[in-house]
Amino acid sequence: MKPNTTAKHSSRDINRRDFIKIGSGAVALLAHAPITGNAFAKRRRRRPKPKNIVLIITDQQHMDTIAAGGCRHVRTPALDRLMKSGVSFTQSYSANPLCSPARSAVFTGRTSSECAVHVNGRPIRSDIPNLGQWLSEQTDYETFYAGKWHLPRTYTSDIPGFEVINTGIGGFGYLCDTVMSRACEGFLRNRNRAKPFFLVASFMQPHDICEWLRLNMNNTGKLRYPELAGALPELPNNFDYDRNEPDSIKQRRRGNEPFKGRWDKEHWRYYRWSYYRHIEYVDAEIGRVLQAIEDSGHVDDTLIVMIADHGEGMGHHQMVRKSSFYNESARVPLLFSWPGHVAENKTDTHHVVSGLDITPTLCDYAGIRPPAHMRGVSLRGILEASERLSRDFIVSEVSTNTGRMVRTEDYKYITYKDNLVEQLFDMKTDPGETKNLATLSRNASVLVEHRKLLKEWENQLDVPSNVPNGEVWRHKG
Amino acid sequence: MAKKRTIVGSPLTPALLKELGAVDALPSTSRDFNPADAWVNAYRLWTCHGYRESGNQNVGFLRIERVRDSDAAFTLKVHEEVLQTDAMVGIIDGAISCRNDPLASPIRWNLSSRSIGADGEDIPELRNTNNGVPTKGMDRITGDWCLLEAVQRLAFDKQTSMSFNLLEGMSLSKPDHRLSYGGVHSVNMGAGDTRLHRFVQFGSGILPYEYWLDARHRLLIVTSMNKAYLLDDRAGDIFARDVEQARTSYRKKQSQRK
Repeated sequence: MKPNTTAKHSSRDINRRDFIKIGSGAVALLAHAPITGNAFAKRRRRRPKPKNIVLIITDQQHMDTIAAGGCRHVRTPALDRLMKSGVSFTQSYSANPLCSPARSAVFTGRTSSECAVHVNGRPIRSDIPNLGQWLSEQTDYETFYAGKWHLPRTYTSDIPGFEVINTGIGGFGYLCDTVMSRACEGFLRNRNRAKPFFLVASFMQPHDICEWLRLNMNNTGKLRYPELAGALPELPNNFDYDRNEPDSIKQRRRGNEPFKGRWDKEHWRYYRWSYYRHIEYVDAEIGRVLQAIEDSGHVDDTLIVMIADHGEGMGHHQMVRKSSFYNESARVPLLFSWPGHVAENKTDTHHVVSGLDITPTLCDYAGIRPPAHMRGVSLRGILEASERLSRDFIVSEVSTNTGRMVRTEDYKYITYKDNLVEQLFDMKTDPGETKNLATLSRNASVLVEHRKLLKEWENQLDVPSNVPNGEVWRHKG
Repeated sequence: MAKKRTIVGSPLTPALLKELGAVDALPSTSRDFNPADAWVNAYRLWTCHGYRESGNQNVGFLRIERVRDSDAAFTLKVHEEVLQTDAMVGIIDGAISCRNDPLASPIRWNLSSRSIGADGEDIPELRNTNNGVPTKGMDRITGDWCLLEAVQRLAFDKQTSMSFNLLEGMSLSKPDHRLSYGGVHSVNMGAGDTRLHRFVQFGSGILPYEYWLDARHRLLIVTSMNKAYLLDDRAGDIFARDVEQARTSYRKKQSQRK
């Protein structure tokens, strides 16, 4: 396979594979010394470690798109299987509902602003290790990557800390995901079972809905396939939108295809039907990977994690795509499976979790301390022992570091820089986020509390000076 | 300043493919062409990013050869290559034995997939084979490549409609599909109107497929969302040239990094 040429440091003897991974990130990794002989390491050793880890990522997947999770518009046998064999979270949030920023948080456990990935197409700050670099540095897992990366290049054969087995094609998940999953299948079936691996299978779909939007913006008023009329899903209950939203949301809505193309309700429904077909497409490709894990005898030894980078508007609030804090864009599927270890067929509706939790969780499973300054936490206690997480809230960011979302158990608070309009939703009584409570005086104390949480959160961050608006957030509150 | 990009706005059709530069003219079909006999069709795999000015490109090719085994059966020899970023190539090839029925129902298949690296090297760790026969419970199945054959033998008749379960790539099961005749369409390809017959396929796990055939029942174009299969005798040569260009570009990029 094609070796990568990027950063890896090891305190062990450096073999050829290690050597070719040493690069610019090595200095940064040296700052995080390997764990040896301390109490922490002893505690870690007591818990079993999966021989392999497979991280499956989808792109732009709305939370409610899994049949086993209750979606009646799709067939998703692969995701159903994964869901039933493990733990799924219903309150799982993207750390930044945009591709590159979300991925930077997943692969580092640091916020996108800290990673200096505040917009698409930027590399992770060189002194923050990614999961591939960290695992190959600290463990005996060999690290492999297939598919979309986007940090900075969408597809590339050069990813720090990983050996890239398949690159994909930018913007064409409908074609390249099949080639990618076949490469993963070959890898899994040929892999020597004695050698531990960490494989990332990063699918492009259902992101091609972006191409669909561009190819179906016009021609409303007549359905291209009239025979589908009876099969189109209904519009969501929160299809309408608040006319007093923050300006950035209004602008985003106006700039999207449905408003440019003056869609009628039937066209919205056709878009939703089409999006579900994208979901089924990627589900089948995920199924190929799961089948290969099973057929090759890896299933009992492998922790499988599935997450999406961000969600999809799907017509809720008349939004499409991502980059908003509404649940449809910000919430993502998150599934864990490891037979005999992770609880089976469990849906966690209580804990609010984040893409920031992936790195600390995988490090926990790998038996190592995560890199310094994690902003997420390990979910292992929840996955295996029904422990309660002590964390009170999570924070998400939005494109170009212009917005923040604080999600507590009961509320979602949203604020944008240079915008007086704040949003506060009671997520227990109004999960569709249709009533902004921020303007009601009786909620003043809740607002103050959430602003305070945000300020405290911001003050712990290490945001580089070249990231816009870093100062704004440190002082806002 | 960023280049202005115009949203395409409409689904891919033969006329739009012409507008976008994906096809110059439709290939002509020999009078001898018999969809139920031996033939070879080569297609360019073309994709559209949704803008008129950028991101639209050939990314692969597909060659299908029909070999007549008997009155009751035939073999499809399939070879598909897809070019990926940094000059990696995914290849799948092999043969599918089919019944000579309306669905081209698969009897058995022997396929192999492999990956080629940027320097043209085979990557043995990623090789895979898929040899199979329909198993019990696989009712009314056909494959996506089989449909490219079957659709050429269907009658141009409003009554033509088939329901089936799709075995995509002879490996991924996608149930509840329907393929129906969608009428004859006048298509302006720049040199006057051409009449093409259209079949439409719906089903789980796919975006609708549209199959466009000429009057001799030869399949000229297939579109599905942002991808198109374009019949082109030069498809293999064009792909080989694109791969070589991608490798050169990749090597140049690598040397610049060093």
